[in-house]
This record gives sequence, structure tokens and C-alpha cells, in this order.
Amino acid sequence: MAALLEIKNLHAKVGNKEILKGLNLIIEAGEVHAIMGPNGCGKSTLSAVIAGHPAYVVTEGEILFKGEDLLKMTPDERANKGVFLAFQHPIELPGVSLAQFLKTALNAKRKANGQDPIDAVAFMKYMNVRATALGISNEMLKRPVNVGFSGGEKKRLETFQMAMLEPDFCILDEMDSGLDVDALKVVGQGVSVMREDKRSFMIITHHDDLLQYVKPDKVSIMRDGVIIKTAGAELVKEVEASGYDKF
Amino acid sequence: MTNSNPFLIHTKDQVVVKNPDDKSWVFEVDKNGNLWVDFLQMDADLNVLVNLQGEDAKCKINCAYLTNKNNNLNIDIKVLHKYKKTTSEQHIKGIATGESSVSFKGVIEIPKSCPKCDGRQHHRGLVLSPKAKIEAVPQLEIWADDVVCSHGSAIGPLDANQLFYLQTRGISEKEAKKILLSSFLGDLMPEEFSDTIQKWMDENA
Repeated sequence: MAALLEIKNLHAKVGNKEILKGLNLIIEAGEVHAIMGPNGCGKSTLSAVIAGHPAYVVTEGEILFKGEDLLKMTPDERANKGVFLAFQHPIELPGVSLAQFLKTALNAKRKANGQDPIDAVAFMKYMNVRATALGISNEMLKRPVNVGFSGGEKKRLETFQMAMLEPDFCILDEMDSGLDVDALKVVGQGVSVMREDKRSFMIITHHDDLLQYVKPDKVSIMRDGVIIKTAGAELVKEVEASGYDKF
Repeated sequence: MTNSNPFLIHTKDQVVVKNPDDKSWVFEVDKNGNLWVDFLQMDADLNVLVNLQGEDAKCKINCAYLTNKNNNLNIDIKVLHKYKKTTSEQHIKGIATGESSVSFKGVIEIPKSCPKCDGRQHHRGLVLSPKAKIEAVPQLEIWADDVVCSHGSAIGPLDANQLFYLQTRGISEKEAKKILLSSFLGDLMPEEFSDTIQKWMDENA
């Protein structure tokens, strides 16, 4: 397997506070890679930096995605190269319907790939198949993005967006926080269905809830802005048994 | 040539309309009268005076401003409830970019002699550039008891997290801004103005 994502000596700060302190990470194509760590270790910062959030400033190091310098790209360019971030706290967009939003997003990706916009009928079919699979009703598609949905529904909608955009690299930022078992199953199934040779996942979490439904190929432990250990799925059990202090 | 400061009078039942100059409007709404008018201001001042001067007279004034460069807009909307049981609504939303500045002054006046009136005024402004400025001065002069009156004003920049969220879905910054600006204006302005608004968004988002 070739590296899809390669992070070398990454330092990043928000305001004057350095949060990532020389982080190294390799994620291969097709790999499901869990990043586990205690609260405040910089996990969510890592996902924000990969997606290109303007509040985080990279001071040193590099991120290569498919061999290209990701840090030179705008957030939308990164997305159209295949990076998808499922948000821990999905943002509400009043007045923007989910269906319209997804059509705009899908067409932006098609444009970036030199394709014509999808026609209305083909889009409806494409969307309805994925919506049905994840239990997204017609009524939900017409509503404004994330407005008035419960925490569990929002996470399901993030999974649905991921299924719609078919990214090569999916970052799930604390998708399991605040989810009940049913919602966790839906998200887990959504990920499992999308799992394939070329697609990689980075699952950020601080416990093993989601990992019971999606078995990772690799697990990295993050502490204080760096990755301190990477191993196979057995590492999840070690964390659950004895916490992060032993690392 | 398209008018860059269009208006549309939807309803003017029992209303005398005066337009003393191209920036000023006076509407006299008589008993059971109903006025509904939309204004879109891009580079000119607006000065509106509404006299609600008969029982059950109503008015709805919608105004959007979209301004750029070094334009300086003064938007004055004054509603005088001169009779009991009169009703007014003012909905104002606007976007300023470049080095433009906007001053909105909205007056609702209900004298002591006019009970059971209902006056509302809502203003929201979006400031898109560091040098643009929006100032709102709501002025409510309510002397009568037994009236309903509400007002609100909020001015701020685009939400950076909304913008980022749209961009993480592959939508360019410019398109994302256009989506957010359109949703901000919502359906305040009529279909007739949509080409003018769209063109402004294309050039200024």
C-alpha cells in the first residue's frame, strides 16, 4: 500500500498556543486508522489542520496528500482532492436546504475533476439511494442543513454527506461523542459500507465505542501534540484496560 | 439601463403616495388602508415617511441595502402611528463591503392618543470587509399604553465556521459566501430584484 497521507514533524498553533508539537503520521490507502488520546491532546486540532481551518497556523512541518503539499491548498481544494471532515459539532446553515447544499458540493467536486454538472434527475437518484440506506427521510433532505436536528441525527447527516461525496480520505472527528447505541450503529454501518481498497479513514476518538463497529487496521495513541505509539487493533483493548497514563 | 435602487409597491390600498425627489417617499395611509413596499438600496440614500392616519391602517416596509466601494448610504425610515389601532412592520437587512458605510435610522412613533397600536422594526447587517461600517440607530418613541412594540438590530461579520464548513464540502470561498449571503437575505426581496441582487453577489462576494 502507498501512503495516502503523510504528516512530517507537524507543528501548529492556535493564537499563541502551540498544540501540535512535531507530529508524525502515515496513513496508507485503504487503511482505517484510529487516533486515540485523552481530551486536550490535540486530536481535533489535527483534524482541523488537515481540513484547513483558518484559525490554526502551521509553523513547521508538512502534510502530503497523494504526494501533494496539502498545506498549500484552500479547504475546498483539499475537499475536491478527496479529503472529507465529519465534524464533531456540525455547523448549522439556516436557509440552505440539505439537498441544494449537497448538489452544490457534488457539482463543485465534478467541476474540479473536469466533469459537467450532474443533471437533476440523476442527482435525485444518486441522493435517494444513499439517503434510504442511512435512514434519511425526504423531509430531512428539504430542511436547512443541521438546523433543528438532534446530536445523533446530525452525526447521521455527516455520514450521509460523506456517502454523497465519496471522498478518498474520511476524517471522523469524535463522531461517537454523545451518541446513543442506535446512532452509533448507523454511523458504524455507514463507515463499514464505504470501506474499500482505495478509501482511508482516520477515526478520532477517546474511547472505543465506534471502534466496536468499525475495526481499525491501525491505532495511534496521541498525547500532548504528538503520536507516541502506533500498533494494530489490539492497542484499543490496551487503552480500554489501562487508560492513557501508561503510554 | 437597470435601476440600481429599485423599489416595488405591492399594495397601496387607501394610500396617497408622494415622491418629492428620487430619494424621498411619503406614504399617507388612511382608514383600513394597507401599504406594502420593498426598497433595494445600492448607492443612494433613502428617506421614507409613513403616516398611519386612520383606524386599522397598516404598513409593511421591507428594505435591503447592498453597498460597496466608498458608498455612503443613509437609510431613514420613519413610521408615525397617528391613529389608534394602526400596525407597522419594518424589515431591514443589508450587506456592506469595500470601504462603504451605512447609517440606518428607524423611527417608530406612537403618541399617547393612539392606543392598541402595533409597531415592529427588525434590522440585521453584515459587514464583509474590515473597512466597511454599518451603524443602526433605532429610535422608538412610544408614549401610549396598551401597545405592542418590538425592535431588534444585529450587526456582524459572516460566520467563519459556516464558511469553513461549506468549504470543507468542496465549495469555493466565493460560492460559499454567495450561499451565506443569499440565505441571509432570505425572501425579503421580491423575485423582480433577484437579477440585480445576484449580479451584486457575483461581483462582491
